[in-house]
Amino acid sequence: MTASIQRAPAALVRSALSNEFGLVALIAVFAAWFALATPGFASPFNLFTLGRIAAIDVMIGFSMMVVIVTGGLNLSVGAIGACSAMFFGWLSQRFGLPLVFTIPAALAMGAALGAVNGQLIVRSGLHSFIITLATMSVFFGVMVFVTRAEAFRALPPAILAFGRLRYFGYVSPLLLVSAGVGLALAALYRLTPLGREMLAAGANAAAAELSGVRVGRVFVRCHMLSGALAGVAALMAIARTGAAIPSMAGDLGQDWLLPAFLGPVLGGTLLSGGRVSVLGAFLGSALVSELTNGLLQFRVGEFWLQTYLGLMLLAAVLLDLMRRKLVARFGASR
Amino acid sequence: MTTPTLEVSGVYKSFPGVKALADVGLVLRPGAVHALLGENGAGKSTLIKIVTGVYQPDAGELQLEGRAVRFSGPRAAIAAGIGAVHQERNLIPRFSVGENIGLERLGGGWLKGVDYAALHADARKWLDVLELDIDTRLPVSELNVARRQLVEIAKALSLRSRVLLLDEPTASLTPQEAQVLFRVLRKLRSEGASLLLVSHKLEEVQEICDEVTVLRDGRNACANQPMAGLVRQDLVRLMIGRNEIIPSVSPRTREDAPTLLELRGVSTALGHAKIDLSVRKGEIVGLYGLVGAGRTELAKCVLGLHRITAGELLVEGEPRRIGSVAEAIHRHGIGYVSEDRKQEGLILAHSVLDNAGITVWRKLSGRLGLLRDGAVRARVGPIISELEVRTPSLAQTVGNLSGGNQQKVSVAKWLAAGVKILMVDEPTVGVDVKTKAYIHELLRRLAQDGAAILLISSDMPEMIALADRIVVMDGYRITGELANSRVYDPMSEAIMACIHRTAA
Amino acid sequence: MKLAALPRADWFGPLAIVILASIVITAFDPSFLSPFNIQILLLAASVNVVVAMSQMIIIAIGQMNLAIGAIGGFAAITFAGLMQVWSFPPPLAAVCALGLGAAAGLFNGALIARTGVSAFVITLASLSIFKGADLGITRAQPFYGVPASVKAFGNATMIGPIPWLALPAAVVVIGMWRLLYRQKVGRFILAVGGNSSAAELSGVSIERTTLWAHGLSGFLAALAGIMLVGRLQLGQPSIGDDWLILSFAAPVIGGAALAGGHVSVFGTLLGVVIVAMITQALVIFRIDPFFVQVVLGLLILWTVGVNRLREVRLSGGRA
Repeated sequence: MTASIQRAPAALVRSALSNEFGLVALIAVFAAWFALATPGFASPFNLFTLGRIAAIDVMIGFSMMVVIVTGGLNLSVGAIGACSAMFFGWLSQRFGLPLVFTIPAALAMGAALGAVNGQLIVRSGLHSFIITLATMSVFFGVMVFVTRAEAFRALPPAILAFGRLRYFGYVSPLLLVSAGVGLALAALYRLTPLGREMLAAGANAAAAELSGVRVGRVFVRCHMLSGALAGVAALMAIARTGAAIPSMAGDLGQDWLLPAFLGPVLGGTLLSGGRVSVLGAFLGSALVSELTNGLLQFRVGEFWLQTYLGLMLLAAVLLDLMRRKLVARFGASR
Repeated sequence: MTTPTLEVSGVYKSFPGVKALADVGLVLRPGAVHALLGENGAGKSTLIKIVTGVYQPDAGELQLEGRAVRFSGPRAAIAAGIGAVHQERNLIPRFSVGENIGLERLGGGWLKGVDYAALHADARKWLDVLELDIDTRLPVSELNVARRQLVEIAKALSLRSRVLLLDEPTASLTPQEAQVLFRVLRKLRSEGASLLLVSHKLEEVQEICDEVTVLRDGRNACANQPMAGLVRQDLVRLMIGRNEIIPSVSPRTREDAPTLLELRGVSTALGHAKIDLSVRKGEIVGLYGLVGAGRTELAKCVLGLHRITAGELLVEGEPRRIGSVAEAIHRHGIGYVSEDRKQEGLILAHSVLDNAGITVWRKLSGRLGLLRDGAVRARVGPIISELEVRTPSLAQTVGNLSGGNQQKVSVAKWLAAGVKILMVDEPTVGVDVKTKAYIHELLRRLAQDGAAILLISSDMPEMIALADRIVVMDGYRITGELANSRVYDPMSEAIMACIHRTAA
Repeated sequence: MKLAALPRADWFGPLAIVILASIVITAFDPSFLSPFNIQILLLAASVNVVVAMSQMIIIAIGQMNLAIGAIGGFAAITFAGLMQVWSFPPPLAAVCALGLGAAAGLFNGALIARTGVSAFVITLASLSIFKGADLGITRAQPFYGVPASVKAFGNATMIGPIPWLALPAAVVVIGMWRLLYRQKVGRFILAVGGNSSAAELSGVSIERTTLWAHGLSGFLAALAGIMLVGRLQLGQPSIGDDWLILSFAAPVIGGAALAGGHVSVFGTLLGVVIVAMITQALVIFRIDPFFVQVVLGLLILWTVGVNRLREVRLSGGRA
């Protein structure tokens, strides 16, 4: 849901031309193509697998999206995710604490690390790129040091069972978690003062400050939210694999960077901040997961996947540029 | 008669909704310093942008040494010989003086590289022409503002500029530094250069300029008038004129009303000293001064953006320390309509609803901390329609509105917040005449309803029409306070007298 | 430079750290300064300095290049692959790989200059594109057939403990110094980074300058990749995976301004030396060298904080 209110019926026409509708159309078109052209795509098992992966990618995308809204970046999403996961594993395996305690604890860890980012960025006035580039390695490194790079595999069976659940044979509850979080985020931006302040501060921090928004505090909250969402994504990844592995997000958490950006950017969240599309980010990540899965069905070779994703990002950014130029030319306002 | 260096004739320029220039002209002779005067919104900066090639005129002609020219962009203007020294520095901070001057001509092939000896020698030559003792090897970042400006003049010379345009050159200079600059300008004049000096400082303009062109409301109030024979009051009269009928509102006395905002002996981190100011309930206090006097900065200190280092700030009679803007707005009911509505007053990319409601989101959120658009619309909608903001809907992006309507939106958010103390900074700059009248009426009404209004303006007629009392500020100090008789001529003379009281 | 102004030079701090650290580490382990150890240090530093220069030139123009590792890896496997699969002689394979790196850089630069999209997004995309190509071509398997001459170049010593690998590194450092301080192109790169609107007003073509900067960056990344193939003695697809933080840390430690317009070649070189020393020290103290990443992160935070204070002082109060 875009955070700008659509009122008049003319808005409906605008919605039809909007980014979100285009994404839905693309998802449908590709789904049809893959289903017809490959034997495996439409199988319940594949759809189930696809659903789980998409759910995690969507969450990673959300984690980055809430920071992009402020006009900044969070390169440490993967590192924070890995830290949350390992914290969860440690509490579960070492102390045998129940899920009702360890899950919130993992999210709190994510939020705390996010708070560190936020405070460093706000107090130093430095660009979030370099700060989170540095914290990415510090967070990850400390985690590896503390855990001695050993995975936790003896986790409460409940979480793996949750990951294995199947509704109607092919819907994973992880998708529902992502959808639920998406709704909550949309509500945040549409229905709460904090969410609106996040958008205002991201669009024009000086004007927001002069209008009484505590911009510094708002930015810290955005980063805390980003960390917590990274924690959710990490827990979902644990549910999928059944283990908390330090390298789950790659070296320093780098592997999460591309999915983190692809979803929101495809979904129309501007890198300059101040505008958000939660639905767009959801659809964007879903589309990317779908395309990845489809390419694999076509035996394109998993090694070339990254190239396609990079090309997709480029195409998305360039198309969005063209779209905005067209919109400006033909006046989307009246 | 010698060919004029630059001749601007019959220039028109409009922007959507605003006519910036109408039939404007001026003539620059060789060997003369020509002043370009005009208050904020008179069209000076538009004219400068046309001369320097940033804008193209809708109609009219520019002639450089007798030849008609049309600049496609700033580079074309520079190439044709228009040298400009702008208000912002156009230098590469870490580069040396010599390299900045010679940046255009940086040559050298791959084998030999840049010939720095020749570069510095060339720069030295231009600095010597201006009789400046600046080491060309110093990085520009190590020079003070005055010297950086002189480097830019040397650079303009090195590009064989035929016209040298200086935009508010003494804005950040000490009086001594200004004298050094004037010596340089006089030398250039004696060698036949054509200089166009844009400035707000009338005494400086009188000191060094030979002729003057004054713009007012986008037209020539006068053109190419010789400075000899003009006294200061003549210039002031030309600049501010009398294009508005001052409504005969009987002066209101407000001694009985409580003082809502008071500054006692306030000094600030920005350089204000011993500021005494008070605004009563229902009163409009005008804070008059020329650009650079420190008025906006004072408002921002009151708002909590910068530190107050001495003295007391009292809100409704109680001394307060305001630590942040949020505190000023939500706890003390102080609002501030910024003079820079596009960068500070509004979020152009967001809707009217989002802009007008920003101050009340927290207040309107119900149980569970939720806030529906409906609630914001209920609060803000009536205000928007009452202000007669011309917009198709509340969802309209503010950036697409006209200047006048944008200004109304930026005021609306303070009305929605129900502030008791409102500081309004240059409220009618870049606003059409009808909206200007509307805003004046609005301010009067707000005061009548009990708000305390601090009106910051360099628009003399506006000030005299609206204010109950006028406080004059110059150089970050209060230089006078006057009760407003609302009779134009004596008031404007008295106000101007207050300003120049501190002139060296 | 006046004596009193010395401490303000960018390289003064790093040099002091290098000297201090050498003393401290040698006190713990005298073999630190042995010829063998110096050789190891120089081998690591030679490759890393080229990586650092590759990023430094982009920092100079006020942008960032996330694709350095990917371009380096891609060039590395191209180099190795051309020699193994098609029996190219090493010099020819090297020229092809370097050309590829430069082309990749130009690709980035052209997109950034023409579309106005941020360097971050463009290089993030190209990072994936080239990494994917790297993995796709090699199927994640290294090329083992590296000629003996290349292996020797990557490991043998020239004079005393100084390895052959230090030669291209030295050429790059000297060349970069000359470029940035004596050549028009380099001065324009710094001008655009320092104040792009002022540079444009003075006739500097931002588009062409961007192309130059990114082309050179890609070229240097490719060179580092080739050098690593020699040193590792195989065409490893994972070459470049850990370059990102290092490529920023060294210039930043060396005093680079992240906003652009100011970098220190000598300072960056010292930054690389510091990184090599830290890695070595971790080995000596029996800490997993992986943790050099953590130290780098902390060093970055420290130095940008200090640099920032310096910048604020420089521009503060001046119009």
